[in-house]
Amino acid sequence: MNAIEIRNLTKAYPLFKVEDVSLDVKQGFITGLIGPNGVGKSTLIKMMLGIVRPDAGSVKILGCEMPKHEVDIKQRVGIVSDDCFYYEHLTIRDTMKMISPFYKNWDNKRFHRYLDQFELSPKKKVQDLSKGMKIKLSLALGLSHEAELLIMDEPTSGLDPIFRREMLDLLTDVMQDERNTIIFSTHITTDLDRIADYITFINRGKLVFHEAKEEVFEKYVIVKGDRQLLDQDIRSKFIGIRETPVGFEGLLGDKEEAEQLFGRYAVLEQPSLEDIMYFTAKGGAVHA
Amino acid sequence: MLNLLRKDFIALKSSLWTIILYLAVFSFTFIPNAEMSIYFVGIYTAFGAIILTTMIDIKNHNHQFLITLPINRKQIVQAKYITAILYTILAVVASYGIHWLAKLAFPQLDKPDYSLWVILISIGIVLVLIAVYMPLFYTLSKKGAGIINAIFLIALIVLAQPAAKLIQIINEQDVVSTQTWLLVPAGVLLLFIASYFLTISLFTRKDL
Repeated sequence: MNAIEIRNLTKAYPLFKVEDVSLDVKQGFITGLIGPNGVGKSTLIKMMLGIVRPDAGSVKILGCEMPKHEVDIKQRVGIVSDDCFYYEHLTIRDTMKMISPFYKNWDNKRFHRYLDQFELSPKKKVQDLSKGMKIKLSLALGLSHEAELLIMDEPTSGLDPIFRREMLDLLTDVMQDERNTIIFSTHITTDLDRIADYITFINRGKLVFHEAKEEVFEKYVIVKGDRQLLDQDIRSKFIGIRETPVGFEGLLGDKEEAEQLFGRYAVLEQPSLEDIMYFTAKGGAVHA
Repeated sequence: MLNLLRKDFIALKSSLWTIILYLAVFSFTFIPNAEMSIYFVGIYTAFGAIILTTMIDIKNHNHQFLITLPINRKQIVQAKYITAILYTILAVVASYGIHWLAKLAFPQLDKPDYSLWVILISIGIVLVLIAVYMPLFYTLSKKGAGIINAIFLIALIVLAQPAAKLIQIINEQDVVSTQTWLLVPAGVLLLFIASYFLTISLFTRKDL
């Protein structure tokens, strides 16, 4: 079953467009939404949540249509964002008092447990929290009403490495319940190397791929070798290539083809998600 | 709906004293100096409170947060209209009460006897202001809403005396027929209802 079904979602701005994105986010798994800054990840998430109205296309969350059933949907969804839009002048306690009555399954004990775990004082005002602390607050609020789907927009961007790891462990705990689903947008791809089951790559407002992480790693390959191995035909087969005076490094989307083309004359390595993102975003040849 | 009203109360908890300050400042300014002070105090305080309650939601782009809660945009607008009506009634009644007290405590001010019509006329005027203000507020961005607030405040100050004069003439010369007295409230109510649906429609389509 799919936790999120997106069909032909389109939104045009004067200088930017999210174009015809269709996507199924599988229930019970962590999906990482990756892409460079400003390519449409947040716009896509905002369209899912009804913050931005799409020009065309449809969104179904947990089997219900957005925005027709948005109230029921949002009872079952937790949202964590690096943009902290809470009322800045309120304390954490007041923020909780404001938010909790909206949720049928609000768990006060659980919320305070998270506050203790994240070392957040309920007396502290939102405006006095650092960016990382605001994300922690957002996470505590998002996890305290038995959400089946956690939608996270750049949640790790303001966090120190120690809490980032703690958060990833926390998300792994959330996934102990097989009904739970997480979609997690980030440009820090190392987080997803660790926890994601599926990877969705958005670039320039378009879906590049949406595949199981293992399949992505099996499919793509980094080729490193001498520039003499390159000619125009071979260059055109690369998704992205970086050439230096002494050699080249490029990304190919077909491991078998890479082995046929280069055999033992070049080094073939498994790319990281960051490599895939870098070479896809850069495209063509980059000369260093 | 109750949760949204409660949300407004929590968000404004620390600013509620501002409304009392408005009431005090407008009372001290207008009661000794303006014949139509009962209208000024009620209308200005009500509108000041309404601006306070709308602006609190856009200070930190809070609509983006509100829309992540299990509510829809129609409910957000609905709650704000209800809050605006509540503030209007409270401010107008408070103005009536203060003038009643002022008349008792300071007979030298020579304030007239006020009928309940004063309350209804004041409420009607604020409802018209809300009907114009709300669609603009929910359509414009944070910056635009700030400009609209400034325009409304200037308009309220500039138009206060002419409007007061008009009300006075109507009261004194009995130039308005009974039919008009019935049509005006109906018109105000219709305008308010139309504004409510227009605001919902505009806010529902808006990207936050």
